[in-house]
Amino acid sequence: MKQTKRSIITFMLPAVVLMVVIFLYPTLRTIAMSLFKVKSVTTPLMDWKFVGFGNFFKLFKTPLFVRSMVNILKIWIYNGIATMVLSMLFALAFTKDIRFKKFFRTIVYLPNVIAAIAVGYMWLLYVYNSRFGLFTTMFAKLGLKYLADYQWLNSDHMFFSMCIANVFGNVGYFMMMFIAGIEKIPQDYFEAASLEGITGFQRFRHIIFPLTKGVLRTAIVLWTTRTMGFFALSQVFSGVNTYTPMLFTYQTLFGTEVASESVNAGMAAAAAVLMTVIVVIVSMILNHAIKDDNYEI
Amino acid sequence: MKNNKRKSDFRWRKEITLLPSYIIGIIWAFFTIFMIGWIIAASLSSTKEVFTGNVLSTGLHFENYTKAFFRNKALMNLLNSVIYTVPSCILTIIVSAPAAYCLTRFKFKFNGLIKKSIITALGIPGIMIVMPLFSIVSTLKLSGTHLTLIFIYTATSVPYTTFFLMAFFQGISDVYEEAAAIDGCGPIQCFWRIMFPLAQPAIMTVTIFNFISRWNEYFMALIFANKSELRPVGVGLYQTVQSMMQSGDWAGMFASVVIVFMPTVIIYLFLSDKIVAGVTSGGVKG
Repeated sequence: MKQTKRSIITFMLPAVVLMVVIFLYPTLRTIAMSLFKVKSVTTPLMDWKFVGFGNFFKLFKTPLFVRSMVNILKIWIYNGIATMVLSMLFALAFTKDIRFKKFFRTIVYLPNVIAAIAVGYMWLLYVYNSRFGLFTTMFAKLGLKYLADYQWLNSDHMFFSMCIANVFGNVGYFMMMFIAGIEKIPQDYFEAASLEGITGFQRFRHIIFPLTKGVLRTAIVLWTTRTMGFFALSQVFSGVNTYTPMLFTYQTLFGTEVASESVNAGMAAAAAVLMTVIVVIVSMILNHAIKDDNYEI
Repeated sequence: MKNNKRKSDFRWRKEITLLPSYIIGIIWAFFTIFMIGWIIAASLSSTKEVFTGNVLSTGLHFENYTKAFFRNKALMNLLNSVIYTVPSCILTIIVSAPAAYCLTRFKFKFNGLIKKSIITALGIPGIMIVMPLFSIVSTLKLSGTHLTLIFIYTATSVPYTTFFLMAFFQGISDVYEEAAAIDGCGPIQCFWRIMFPLAQPAIMTVTIFNFISRWNEYFMALIFANKSELRPVGVGLYQTVQSMMQSGDWAGMFASVVIVFMPTVIIYLFLSDKIVAGVTSGGVKG
């Protein structure tokens, strides 16, 4: 018995210590820091000045932060809808009995193994380029003059362009989740339904959709977490229109290349806490709103 | 004969109902492959060819790569990425595999609490933990070394890896351990000698995921390794493109982008079966 206890400690200790050092302590300290006036991350504890929710109020009075929140909300909604719809379409298409199924899945998932920063530059440097870009040459060949002349990297269009790149990068990931969900549905359901002469849409509406609701919920929770962490692309497509809370926090923490007087670690911590709280609330709402339809086999 | 005809008829009808699926698959696949293919072609052309749209018309310009590798330090960045990812992938397994095994096999006081903490840790965004970590690192004067990021990558991978491996250990019957115990093998020895080798397939899969996600990690790297001799490929790419934009070296920029995505794409193409199976079996990273 004693030996078991000792081996449990040997098995668990490294993992527990690492988790305390990297998650528990930093999270608690960030929450604490959000309530204090702290100039820089390295400011020692005795120089922290308690301000209650002052940092949070200040955040909402900072136009750039408000702007970044509006941007991220737009990304969450519009890109979220586009990503979910496209992923579901691909998942439906690639769980059917088609040829080259594996090849299609592999290619659609491919952007997920490429660093976000590289995906961003592939779009910024090549696809959107106004002289030799893929879109310009492709639309010109197709005779779509408006689209061929469209300035994708014009500061008014930058946000939209970034969104397309973002959706492109995310579709494969959620497609895989939906494929996993669809393939878990017992085959009998489809067989019974096809005997009844069900159409493709009915098949989706009455079998697949209800039975993958749980997956959809998980997908939206993950989408929310991923969107809050949106960073690399907004650094590649830089501009006020593509500003996101992560970038705001990063710059409030370390200053920008041009100005360092804006550094305010307390406010950065408040932004981090706010972002985390939003993710938690959204997840909780989703867990209540979308209930699994239990099915017994 | 009649039967045969009906069968082929039926197949035709089936293929036609599948047509929309083929169309969206082909369009998306063509777009992705063309985009990556063109960028690789452009990385081997001169900037002039890139602008005139005749990539690869004057042979292969490998000098874009030599320039990127040496003058823009891509080689050093690659080496740094290897230094960060390989040790942290190994350490993550050494820490997580015993923990995952212990949590699925032994009943003890804090078992439930630790499992719950692992799930919670999966959802904590990086931004919540960087600030205190940064202050620890600067107090310990570790900011000029590779150790910081190796440690951070190891520790942040522990919850996901443990979670993934727990599902695997749950599926292994305990007859092996019973046999080992009869032979007088202690729990720790039994784990490393018997269970750990048995878990190889799951360990491989989760390590591939860890490797790719560490290789592509950007935010932590930007904060903890943003000095020229410490930069991994992602952060290095940002710096390189910023400076090449100024000099207008487009072919060089494409070469730098290719250097960043090639390693993971090659790994993916070789191991895509394992990766795709890993993702669809429910081991999706949270």
